[in-house]
Amino acid sequence: MIHHHPGDELLLAYAAGTADEAVSLIVATHMSYCAVCRERTAKLESLGGALLQDLPPAELEAGALDNVLARLDAVKPFERPRRAASRDGTPAVLRAYIGGDLSTVRWRSMGPRLSYAPLFKRGKVSARLLRGVPGADSGVHHHCGTEFTVVLQGGYTDPTGNYGPGDLQVMEDGMSHNVVADPGEDCVNLAVTTGRLKFDSLLQKIAAPLFGF
Amino acid sequence: MVLRLPMSAKPEVQEMNALLGRVAMERDRTAFAALFSHFAPRVKAYLLRQGAPAAVAEDLAQEALLSLWRKAHLFDPAKASVATWLFTIARNLRIDAIRREKRPELDPEDFMPETGPSADQSMVIADDESRLRLALKELPADQVQVVQLSFFADKPHSQIATELGIPLGTVKSRLRLAMSRLKRALGEME
Repeated sequence: MIHHHPGDELLLAYAAGTADEAVSLIVATHMSYCAVCRERTAKLESLGGALLQDLPPAELEAGALDNVLARLDAVKPFERPRRAASRDGTPAVLRAYIGGDLSTVRWRSMGPRLSYAPLFKRGKVSARLLRGVPGADSGVHHHCGTEFTVVLQGGYTDPTGNYGPGDLQVMEDGMSHNVVADPGEDCVNLAVTTGRLKFDSLLQKIAAPLFGF
Repeated sequence: MVLRLPMSAKPEVQEMNALLGRVAMERDRTAFAALFSHFAPRVKAYLLRQGAPAAVAEDLAQEALLSLWRKAHLFDPAKASVATWLFTIARNLRIDAIRREKRPELDPEDFMPETGPSADQSMVIADDESRLRLALKELPADQVQVVQLSFFADKPHSQIATELGIPLGTVKSRLRLAMSRLKRALGEME
């Protein structure tokens, strides 16, 4: 059961295609778990269709239609690419970035209880996987820029509530929290940050830049 | 309250569906030409609003309609109108060609909980575009403007606020008001 969904503004940015790739990955991953938000997105896309329909038409170049008609015979009907099925329920949209299932991720240690795996970085925006063993504590940290998190496995608790698979959390610029992995299985999250994290503890202050946080 | 559909909007959606059906089933070029003439100038207008240079907007508009020809067999009128489907095609082409990014898109066969929309809901979804067009006509102009800019101008809300010369909070509250009225038009509970 999903309890934490993206707000209208975030979903609209995804549907409109104005959200960047990393934030879009967050929303698409959430929707892999969430039928409610798939339907909300379908409605927002309908709004895009309605707006498109009502736009004053722009003038095309002379011969545009003939040009496209001449190309029809040369193009092949589109076929959906076949994707190998996931063995552990990893969402397909995420598998494309991991290069396989979650179980194939090569984790890098950040101490005895936490590990991470970078997915990609575009400018200041980073997408990465984070894993904590049950009870692992992130330590209090402050967000410079926004952080988006989707839980993939297990769960965590912070002062705002409890987050399980599919739940999405947004931490705005300037907010701070500490996150504790729930008992049971390891907690695995997809996290996108648009700025650095600042930690309260001295050890983490020193270590965070080393890991690119 | 559920808004009644205007007599004119729904047949237009059905007419476009029928044309696309002929493209998919019979590879009908006349039907394709009719869809092209209706939609290509609108797709170009959309891309121009997104800030694409005229030559790029022209190329991508032609490309979008070529995609419609290639993907016609995948179109499902229960899930979206032709305009909505084409909007998503043009949106993704733009992200790919102009932003040079990938579009993380859901695999329609990869739904974790098996709860796709039921047949009843699909009927509603297919009518969404007509309902929304009607509802947009009822909105105050300043609300329509922020909805359009949120969709069609690839800019953060802070920049939209600066350009309109209004506070960021006003942009957000107009968008919130508009969205709640649009949701009501779709018969959703608040």
